[in-house]
Amino acid sequence: MSDIPSIEPPRLLIRFLRWFCHPDLIEDVEGDLLELFDHRVQKSIRNAKLLMYRDVLQLLRPDIVKNIGLFNSKNNTAMIYNYLKSAWRNLIKYKGFSAINIFSLSIGIAACLVIYLFVKDESSFDKIHQKNIYRLCEIQSFPGTKVQNVALSTSGMGPTMIDYFPEIRQYTRFWSMGSVLLEKGGRKITVENVASADTSFFEVFDYPLLHGDRESVLDKAGDIVVSEKVANLFFDRTNVVGEFFEVDGLKLIIRGVMKDVPENSHLQFSVLLSIPTRIESMTDFNTQFGNNFLITYFVLNDQADIGAMSEQFPAYLRKASGNEEYTDRMQIFLQPLEEVHLASMDIEHDYLNHRKFNGVYIKVFALVGLFILIIASVNFMNLTTARSGSRAKEIGVRKAIGAIKKQLFSQFIIESILLSFIALLVALLFTYLFIPLLNNAIDRQFSLLSVLFDWQVLTWVLVGTVTLGVIAGLYPSIHLSSFNTVKILKGVRAMDKKSMFRSTLVVFQFSLALGMIVCTIIVVQQLNFMRNTDIGFNQDHVLLVELNGSAQAKYDEIKDVLKRKSNVLGVTASGQRLGNNLHQYGFKKQGPEGVSSFSPSHIYVDYDFLSVYDIQLKDGRTFDKSHATDEGLSFIINESAAKDLGYENPIGAKVGHGWYPDDSLGSVIGVTKDFNFNSLHHKVNTLFISLHKDWGYSEMSVKLNGKDLKQGIKDVEEVYAQFVSDYPIKYQFMDKHMEELYKSDQQLSSVISIIAILSIFIGCMGLFGLASLAVQRRIKEVGIRKVMGASSLGMITLLSKDFMWMIFISFMIASPVTYLLMSGWLEGFAFRVDINPIVFILAGFVSLVIALLTIGYHVLKAVSANPIKALKYE
Amino acid sequence: MGKYSIGEFEEIVMLTIAILYDNAYGITIKEEIEKRMDRKVSVGAMRTALKRLENKGFLKSNFGEATAVRGGKRKRYFRITESGKQALDQVMETRKQLWEAIPSISFDFKFI
Repeated sequence: MSDIPSIEPPRLLIRFLRWFCHPDLIEDVEGDLLELFDHRVQKSIRNAKLLMYRDVLQLLRPDIVKNIGLFNSKNNTAMIYNYLKSAWRNLIKYKGFSAINIFSLSIGIAACLVIYLFVKDESSFDKIHQKNIYRLCEIQSFPGTKVQNVALSTSGMGPTMIDYFPEIRQYTRFWSMGSVLLEKGGRKITVENVASADTSFFEVFDYPLLHGDRESVLDKAGDIVVSEKVANLFFDRTNVVGEFFEVDGLKLIIRGVMKDVPENSHLQFSVLLSIPTRIESMTDFNTQFGNNFLITYFVLNDQADIGAMSEQFPAYLRKASGNEEYTDRMQIFLQPLEEVHLASMDIEHDYLNHRKFNGVYIKVFALVGLFILIIASVNFMNLTTARSGSRAKEIGVRKAIGAIKKQLFSQFIIESILLSFIALLVALLFTYLFIPLLNNAIDRQFSLLSVLFDWQVLTWVLVGTVTLGVIAGLYPSIHLSSFNTVKILKGVRAMDKKSMFRSTLVVFQFSLALGMIVCTIIVVQQLNFMRNTDIGFNQDHVLLVELNGSAQAKYDEIKDVLKRKSNVLGVTASGQRLGNNLHQYGFKKQGPEGVSSFSPSHIYVDYDFLSVYDIQLKDGRTFDKSHATDEGLSFIINESAAKDLGYENPIGAKVGHGWYPDDSLGSVIGVTKDFNFNSLHHKVNTLFISLHKDWGYSEMSVKLNGKDLKQGIKDVEEVYAQFVSDYPIKYQFMDKHMEELYKSDQQLSSVISIIAILSIFIGCMGLFGLASLAVQRRIKEVGIRKVMGASSLGMITLLSKDFMWMIFISFMIASPVTYLLMSGWLEGFAFRVDINPIVFILAGFVSLVIALLTIGYHVLKAVSANPIKALKYE
Repeated sequence: MGKYSIGEFEEIVMLTIAILYDNAYGITIKEEIEKRMDRKVSVGAMRTALKRLENKGFLKSNFGEATAVRGGKRKRYFRITESGKQALDQVMETRKQLWEAIPSISFDFKFI
């Protein structure tokens, strides 16, 4: 009991009490509480403290809490009410200005909201995974082809690296299989995005499993995991562990059911097979270093130093591959999982990267959103200051009856916050209405409601709106509250002078708008250029039909029948599809100094490939059935490859696949002109084309008659169904596929053009308001001039001269900046348009015309008005 | 009721202050009520009542000497004022009148 005095009541609590309690009461209230505490502490310290908390909280009552800030005098509330009232009256009185103000601000806010949605969506990729995950990438520098970063690795790298590097905790490999036809109880359904993965897959990644054991779902051969959707599709329920599918006589047992893979995951899969299911015949699967066909992911421990590991990579590669020269052609690096979606633009053969996006564009968009908001707030500032004349009397009277500067300042700040809140409401409405259109344009599924009910976002939006109101209102408030009382009341309208500040703001606005217009034109030019460039082969009306299962074996028969149809102009097939980065393979060539190897891109095709795609031969001949050696021993190469081979006349040069014995190589039979088999972001790589019927083609290309495509498709479907029963037909048009190559650029162009239109629109609204004021200010001058006999044209020039200067200065500022920016963007394309100076002049001209049209309304009204009206009152 | 309007809790507080006479401060009032009325009194509710009664002029208060207990804080002692006494009287008076106005048959429960 002797230590009772040493027990202190909660210090923070006392401080809190002292903070809120009315100063008249604090002394004895605190004393009472301390006395009570001393009583209670004798029973239980904990209870005493708890009860004290309760007592203090119960003291939070209006009679006891002191008056804080805003509420410390009743007069203030009345004042704020008065401010709101006069703000509202001004809104109503000057409807046009208020509408322009609110409208432009709300467009700015709406643009920002949408861009926020976009950025949020793009940066949400792969965020569900908690561990320190890296993707293994290679830098391939095979001779005879360009150096390239690829997102592939060999199947031997995973298992050997985890032994070599103590930093690696776990690895998993992901090996795509494309679409697979699954069969259950007589129902056959083609399931897309099937892949196989190591059993560690669900330990590395945190994709949620609904049923099954995370650690062992993919242990044995024949084990599979299906998504909820697939489970429902075949079984109408989700708990299907233990059920099985049959594929090509193989029994696949479902060991786990996972939640559907979310849209914001770079890996997309609906069925996973265990790796052992696929490698029974591949004994060297876990050790081979020759073929790069799957993706390896690692989990590193938290202390792992990537830099130190990277230094070890060459030594590891040489040791693990058992080949001292291995690193001459191959380097590897680790890419953090969070970079896979947004920072993989320089990585090729990156097929399993869903909706891969250029992260730089995200920054561009965010910047652009900020610009729009700035333009809109500039409008606000501009119009408010410009209109200060109309408020002058009010300010004068308020000052005369005792308002101090601070109060006027807060009045205008409150007003501007009020306006920005109205703008927010309008903006939300806009966003809500236009999101479906935007989703359509850029192929996304944004939803305003989903983010708005997130309290965090909501807080940001509200805080942002208040901040916007304060920032936009700052200058006008300072300006308005600094008026000289006596002058105002005497009627000197000092505030209506031309303002340098306002002109600067207009110039700034128009520079941004002009820049946007130029960007739009250049982006559209580049896209058109890519669409219209002769890519060296004809993609029109070519139907690509997948060859799966028995379709592959019956390809020849299908081709024969199809060729007889009148709507079919030609049929061929290939192992890969044009429009991709064709895979590189090892080749050999016979030079004067013996046989050497190199790795060009390679595609194997069927007869008629060159004619169906209308690829021009520069030299030599195409594949021909009458030459027996054409199957496997004849090669057609492109110009780049011919140059690389180094022969004066490459026809007849001895070349062959890497595994051909040196003494039985084939020969080059033809040289094509270079054509862009890859997208126009890339240069044309060296290419070898050969013909291998026995390898099995993965896709058939049917050239249809453009006049009756419908009938053509119908013919193909009929013939396909006639021969193939196990796989339903799947096809796509070549030009559709080519369009997908430029999707990201296309979307950029949509966004940029929308923004350009918005920014010029907002800028014009501001200009419209300013012009009306400028004209009003000079209405007497115009009247006098008119009376004295000035010509209309002269007066129009007089009134619009200032604005034309502003546009001109904007043009001078915006052009060089935009030029630099767009040159940078165009660097990303191997084939690109030159920036034509005409574009700048055109954009400048367009903005000048738009600006003149905008102010024209006011100017013409002033010029054509009866001068008597302007001069009658003084 | 007129100008002497007080609520039930306020009445109890005033009566307790009268009972305690010269030892009526926060804690004693609270404890006295709790003891006599067998009900819990929160510090907040009592403080509010005291402040209101003081504002109405029914109570007056003055600080006592600072002591070492209570962390050196002075006690605020409360006293009933003249008008406080009148208010209590009036409450009692009105109650009495009400009681007297009840016909005896109201409380005759025999036939029910």
